Amino acid sequence: MSRHAGARLGRLQGDDRHMNLGAVQRIFGMLLMIFSLTMLPPVGISLLFDDHNWSPFADAFAIVLATGLLLWLPARHRRRELRLRDGFIIVALFWIVLGLAGAVPLVLTDRPVMTVTDAVFEAVSGFTTTGATTLVGLDDLPPSLLYYRQQIQWFGGIGIVVLAVALLPVLGVGGMQLLKAETPGPVKDAKLTPRITATAKALWLLYLVLTVACAGGYYAAGMSPFDAITHSFTTVSSGGYSTHDASLAHFDSVAVEIVAIAFMFAGGINFSLHFIAWRYRRIRDYGRDAEFRAYVGIIVAVTLLSTVILYAGEAFDGVATSLRRAAFTAVSVQTSTGYTTADFSLWPGALPVLLIFLSFVGGSAGSTAGGMKVVRWLLIARQGSREVLRLIHPRAELPVKLGGKPVRWQIVDAVWGFFAVYVTCFAVLMMMLLSTGENQVTAFSAIATCMNNLGPGLGEVSSNFTTISPAGKWICVMAMLLGRLEIFPMLVLLSPAFWRR
Amino acid sequence: MHFGAVQRILGMLLSLFSLSMLPSAGVSLWYRDGEVHVFVLAFVLLVVVGLLVWWPVRKDRRELRLRDGFLVVALFWVVLSLAGAVPLFLSTQPVVSVTDAVFESVSGLTTTGATVLTGLDSLPKSILYYRQQLQWLGGIGIVVLAVALLPMLGVGGMQLYRAETPGPSKESHKITPRIAQTAKALWVIYVALTVACALAYWLAGMTPFDAIAHSFSTVSTAGFSTHDASLAHFDNRLIEGIAVVFMFIGSVNFALHFLAWRRLRLANYLLDEEFRSFIWALALLVVATWLYLWASGYYASLDEAFFKGLFQVVSTHTTSGFTTADFSLWPGVLPVLLLFTSFIGGCANSTSGGMKVIRWLLIGKQGAREVRRLIHPSAEFPVRIGGRPVQWRVVDAVWGFFSVYVVVYVVMMMLLLAAGHDQVTAFSAIAATLNNLGPGLGAVSASFAALETSSKWVCIVAMLLGRLEIFTLLVLVTPGFWRR
Repeated sequence: MSRHAGARLGRLQGDDRHMNLGAVQRIFGMLLMIFSLTMLPPVGISLLFDDHNWSPFADAFAIVLATGLLLWLPARHRRRELRLRDGFIIVALFWIVLGLAGAVPLVLTDRPVMTVTDAVFEAVSGFTTTGATTLVGLDDLPPSLLYYRQQIQWFGGIGIVVLAVALLPVLGVGGMQLLKAETPGPVKDAKLTPRITATAKALWLLYLVLTVACAGGYYAAGMSPFDAITHSFTTVSSGGYSTHDASLAHFDSVAVEIVAIAFMFAGGINFSLHFIAWRYRRIRDYGRDAEFRAYVGIIVAVTLLSTVILYAGEAFDGVATSLRRAAFTAVSVQTSTGYTTADFSLWPGALPVLLIFLSFVGGSAGSTAGGMKVVRWLLIARQGSREVLRLIHPRAELPVKLGGKPVRWQIVDAVWGFFAVYVTCFAVLMMMLLSTGENQVTAFSAIATCMNNLGPGLGEVSSNFTTISPAGKWICVMAMLLGRLEIFPMLVLLSPAFWRR
Repeated sequence: MHFGAVQRILGMLLSLFSLSMLPSAGVSLWYRDGEVHVFVLAFVLLVVVGLLVWWPVRKDRRELRLRDGFLVVALFWVVLSLAGAVPLFLSTQPVVSVTDAVFESVSGLTTTGATVLTGLDSLPKSILYYRQQLQWLGGIGIVVLAVALLPMLGVGGMQLYRAETPGPSKESHKITPRIAQTAKALWVIYVALTVACALAYWLAGMTPFDAIAHSFSTVSTAGFSTHDASLAHFDNRLIEGIAVVFMFIGSVNFALHFLAWRRLRLANYLLDEEFRSFIWALALLVVATWLYLWASGYYASLDEAFFKGLFQVVSTHTTSGFTTADFSLWPGVLPVLLLFTSFIGGCANSTSGGMKVIRWLLIGKQGAREVRRLIHPSAEFPVRIGGRPVQWRVVDAVWGFFSVYVVVYVVMMMLLLAAGHDQVTAFSAIAATLNNLGPGLGAVSASFAALETSSKWVCIVAMLLGRLEIFTLLVLVTPGFWRR
């Protein structure tokens, strides 16, 4: 560490001496009030479809609005600038608070009757764009409720993009300072708000455009307007909720699947790339990005491999069907969407586990996808081969490069650390789920699918989580949140050093 | 690279190793089990092959260098594993295929303890003795490798244990003198421990044959037994207690034993941070397992739950793999928990497998540092072991070791799945072999006989990868290693 860095550290700590808990409270009050507005579209849907299910949403609107107001009022004058530490609290609380608030109408409704555990599970699964569900018989549920679930995922999707593009890089979680815009000077670390606001606006617009395009595509492919809109919500957000028990298999349409593949794929790309392509009207920037190329390469490789195994294992008739199923599932799993057109837990040989492991790879950083993200795997591979080279040339300086540029050692360390902590958390959560009495296949895949925000697992959780005990569901809720927050913000909040002084 | 010198060493090694056939021949004569010719034949074969390898290059006495070290280490286990399979293959009781013979031999020399043989109790004594002896030799092999060689090669952060000899002698990559000297001291300690263990077993009621045979596979934390039922055969808590003690000793850093031996002081053990963590981990796991077994009603009495729990936790944590109960049938999380303890393994520089306690300790500290770094982005937090800061290269190497270990594990598991095995079997078979543990869950809970040929080879590779700490083999498949 240089002397300058030391001096700057002193200054930063001086600034950070007390956390702006008041300002955080103000933000969450506002957030809840804004979020309460999202109860109104389902009311409209309910009236439109005349499903007599509008009152839970109206009640939830009032409850969430009142709670938000109560939080906001005492703190409404706390307008101090947010700092690094506040960022961690906001990031961690964001999904927890919205998960709880989002569960309110689900608890209130009597179609279906849901326990608090199930309601929270469903809401968290929505906001984290996981797509694991505890509901069956979706086709018979009121349209307003179905719409509401889809809408939760849509908001979760934009939330994660803003988090990933604007916030995590500033916080430096798991090497994501990699994506931090190279703005020199001390401004970079201290003030969060202006950059976030500007970025968030652009991302919203982009996200909206993608969603509209996706809905249009689904409609053109033959979906009803209701299905088209609701599925566009969960496609672009790589969420995976559907309005049908059979998921996308319900439509049994090649056109629908192609639209889904295209927009799941788009949702799994770094939104910064979309942003650049949008602003400069240039497509070839995508191809220049090392992570994007790896992302495409993995999807193609897994699709081909799955096709061969499916065809050889005679799971489906003919190459064409095998390819169709394989391509859809590979994209759905890697982007951690979790739509299914076939129950891949029954596929032959290593495929079910291979696909679950693919969700650990996940989509690109700065996308709506879950998992560890392609860029981290890319770095792990390069860092790993550097360690091998270092054994052969113990004294050589071997920089790790990404896109031709050397990667800073802090990032290298952070990526290793992220990987180790991710794997350890996975093992611990899996053992917790085993303790509740689940079998090994179920426990393994349930935690994988929740942490990677995928949705379907293997064994008992291959289509829904109804058979899991309440304790097990709470473990899964934790896994979904940990995965979505990239683990470290949670760990930071648990570390004593964070709360000191 | 000095291929000549490497070849010379391997030739000598094979000739030396051929001598290990003679005790088995002696056992065969003593018990008149009719297997003498097998071992004599194997002896002649190996001596001849060894001499043939050695003869053309006998004058090539060049100093070995860093790169040769990787080659020697990797070839050491591969060549000896093949050589060790010869008598098993030649024997007619039992009749085994080449695959099974190699599997058994690799499992022995890597101190894994996974077996493809059943009906051990009725096998010839000499074959039983030979298996145990393989593990014993594997045990001392790995200790020498870990104490003398890996630190110098810098595999997976093990340069942590490199003696701090300053000056140009380090630069020149000379490895021979130190190894010879260290190896001698380690031999003495190892033999002393084995003798103590054998005596204790004998006094506790084992036959002399069983006592010696089991002492071989206890001190080496290997896990082969002369009975199908493993240590449950004896049904004797004293014997189990002795096994627990010596499995534990075998998985403590032998450098610590060396210090304690030379200065006759026990305090050194407690000064070692890895040792303390190891004890804590064992204690916590024993208590957790004990209470879980008791609370779930699997064992009716507290003391039975305690003894079964204690034995099985120590056996899996030290990656021995002896069993007094089939833990794959234990309730809830226990089977997987025990299997996961083998990923931790014992201390570095011991006979145990797994990733080693020191690496987990470093991963814990390094992980905590990453968290602190998020809170204070520009502060510097050195990672410390025993109060001293750890070099950043070690930190990098440990992270790298961990991720490569996990990735290799996943890839090998998928190979087994692709061969058609169920997930529990595939998951546990690779864990049990990569960590050099032995027994797994599902179809491999007692023996690996149920696996088909290709899967056995996958497991063989896993055992070797685990024993050689992966990187030693990875280096050999790097183009950069062979260039120039």
